[in-house]
Amino acid sequence: MDTFVTETVSILTNAAILFIVSAGLTLVFGALRLINMAHGSLFMIGALLAASLASALGGAWGFCVAVLVAAIAVAALGTGVEVAVLRRLHQREPLAQLLATFAFVLVFADLAQRVWGSSDRSVTAPVAGRLHLAGATVPEYNLVVIGIAGLVALGLWLLLARTATGWRVRAAVEDPESLAAGGTNLPLLRTSVFALGAGLAGLAGAAIAPLESIGPGLDTQIIVAAFIVTVAGGLGSVLGAALGALVIATVESLGTLWVPAYASSAPYLVMILVLAVRPWGLFGVPER
Amino acid sequence: MVKKSKWIGMAVAIALCGAATGCAGSAAGAGSSGGGGGGGGSVTIGESTTLSGSIASLGQTGLQGVQLAAADINAAGGLLGKQVKVVSADDAATPATGVSNVRTMLEADHAVAMFGPVASSVAAAEEQVTNAQHIPMFFHTSNDIGLTTATYSKYVFQNVPNTVMEPRAAADYLAQQLEGKQVTIATFAPNYSFGRDTVTGFIQALKAEKVNYTLVKQEFPPLGATDISSYLAAIEAAHPQYVFNAQYGGDLVAFTKQAASYGLFAKTKVIAMYDYSVLQTLGSAAPAGAIGFDRAPYWTYDTSTMNDFVAKFRAKYGDAPSEWAILGYAAVQQWAWAVHKSGSFSGDAVSAALSGAAVPTILGDQQIRSCDHQTELSEYVGALSAKPASSTDPTHLWTSPAFEAPFDQIAYSCAQMQALQK
Repeated sequence: MDTFVTETVSILTNAAILFIVSAGLTLVFGALRLINMAHGSLFMIGALLAASLASALGGAWGFCVAVLVAAIAVAALGTGVEVAVLRRLHQREPLAQLLATFAFVLVFADLAQRVWGSSDRSVTAPVAGRLHLAGATVPEYNLVVIGIAGLVALGLWLLLARTATGWRVRAAVEDPESLAAGGTNLPLLRTSVFALGAGLAGLAGAAIAPLESIGPGLDTQIIVAAFIVTVAGGLGSVLGAALGALVIATVESLGTLWVPAYASSAPYLVMILVLAVRPWGLFGVPER
Repeated sequence: MVKKSKWIGMAVAIALCGAATGCAGSAAGAGSSGGGGGGGGSVTIGESTTLSGSIASLGQTGLQGVQLAAADINAAGGLLGKQVKVVSADDAATPATGVSNVRTMLEADHAVAMFGPVASSVAAAEEQVTNAQHIPMFFHTSNDIGLTTATYSKYVFQNVPNTVMEPRAAADYLAQQLEGKQVTIATFAPNYSFGRDTVTGFIQALKAEKVNYTLVKQEFPPLGATDISSYLAAIEAAHPQYVFNAQYGGDLVAFTKQAASYGLFAKTKVIAMYDYSVLQTLGSAAPAGAIGFDRAPYWTYDTSTMNDFVAKFRAKYGDAPSEWAILGYAAVQQWAWAVHKSGSFSGDAVSAALSGAAVPTILGDQQIRSCDHQTELSEYVGALSAKPASSTDPTHLWTSPAFEAPFDQIAYSCAQMQALQK
């Protein structure tokens, strides 16, 4: 029973971070038809910003402020990237857009090294307690991370299903020309969605900071996992990102437990399996 | 509009590329190679190491040590009248990328000596290239014993305690602390040659020291694993009194933070590579009382040479030097000393000069054993302090005095090494 509880919390914590990151990636693809290679870089910058701010402010409230400021700052950075560069490439072939975002990966990696240096950083969790459930130890901060993901999921659902802006975001995926003809400011909508996606990447980076070593390399680590989740779940689908995150986190954790020698390749096998059976992903929509 | 399937194809290609080779990191590294060459008043040395991913901090600080050593040589007038240039590239901890970097450095940049990398798997692959081209290769971070046995050649030098020496030092310390008491032990290590060899070395050393132990659990998470709670839960369930952990860098930081959240340090003593980089990252979160081992902790060398080096390093990079930086610097000193002594940059001349020599470095005069080109270094072990190092450095170092395991007590003999070289 204790192993079941430990594994469940571990899976949900991993899935929570993967969901927040992948939701941003998939939203951006949905509205802009753009795969943002620099999404992992925004995650890394969020983590580094949160580490610096939490260290400067100190305490649990300092950490909370650091998480919020990091998410907002990364959203602002994303806005700048979209307005300055990506907007100009919107009508260009996908490869040009992809290469532009790849260039940002390199730029942000260098920038991060110049600003934060080559040493790793550490962040103290705002809550350090432990719960004891069914004989298992459950760190309280893991529950905080799961809670943040729940709030993000709820917020995205309300935004996309219950507001006019959400309707426009979904319409921008299906029929952008008609939407523009109806008077919607498409460039502004795309910029807003890109900022939201970037903010989610920053939020995920900040949220995971107390569990990880924060430093160079976080960008490439997370982007690969986020791509797998997004592709398996269905590009453009937030629900797919949630389910994909849960599937990949489960496969990783159970693979570690049962077949450790193959655990690292298990998520790729899942992605290949999904692509073979449903090339548009679990919750994606096939192209007509 | 571009079909979604096309995007998916590209995304999959990118994801697999990123996973297999760390393409972002390697591209960034290749771009940082700075030209050079043997002519025109300069000579080039290369450092292909890990500059991205969870173990990047080791490669980056090691590179700082190499670059500072080259700068110091140049400030003193250069080497045989030439300025020393350092070219570097990221191997993304991938053997194929490391080999590609080394080939580029040797063929395009005409590097006369190579330094690095971090991962022993990469080192073994690179060693094949440098051996074939008779280029001296200095391993100042990767320490698998196979590098100076199975794939050894006269062009290979290792100035870092190897995977036999390091765990033996930890076992010696433990034997001294336990004084014959019965203990339960678990092991935790990254799942590749270094991790498995280090754990094997530790267990063998416990037997050799006649430690009265019971091995209750062994876990091998992947290198760079972000979530290790399953492995931690398995360790915790076995209730060991000691955990020997062969992780390092960011992996060890993540282990410490996640283990602390599970309350592991309250019940168990962890023995791990708590070196300056890791302790600096952890700050006040460093687990007081845990046992650290380090290949070159600057605070255990109370010499004017080391103090001057630390001051110079702090002035240039803002932090005290890690063991990776210190050993990188010392490796370049060894190479430069051999070039100066032999009057040549050739691999054969450098090899002949260093074999069996005592070379002055920031760590003192270092003897290089002729049978395997292993530098005769001590390994250091100590308990983590509950207090910051000073009012200006919040890093929690070790309590004094540190335990020094001398080379001749922890290294294989020449006869043992030569048997492994066959």
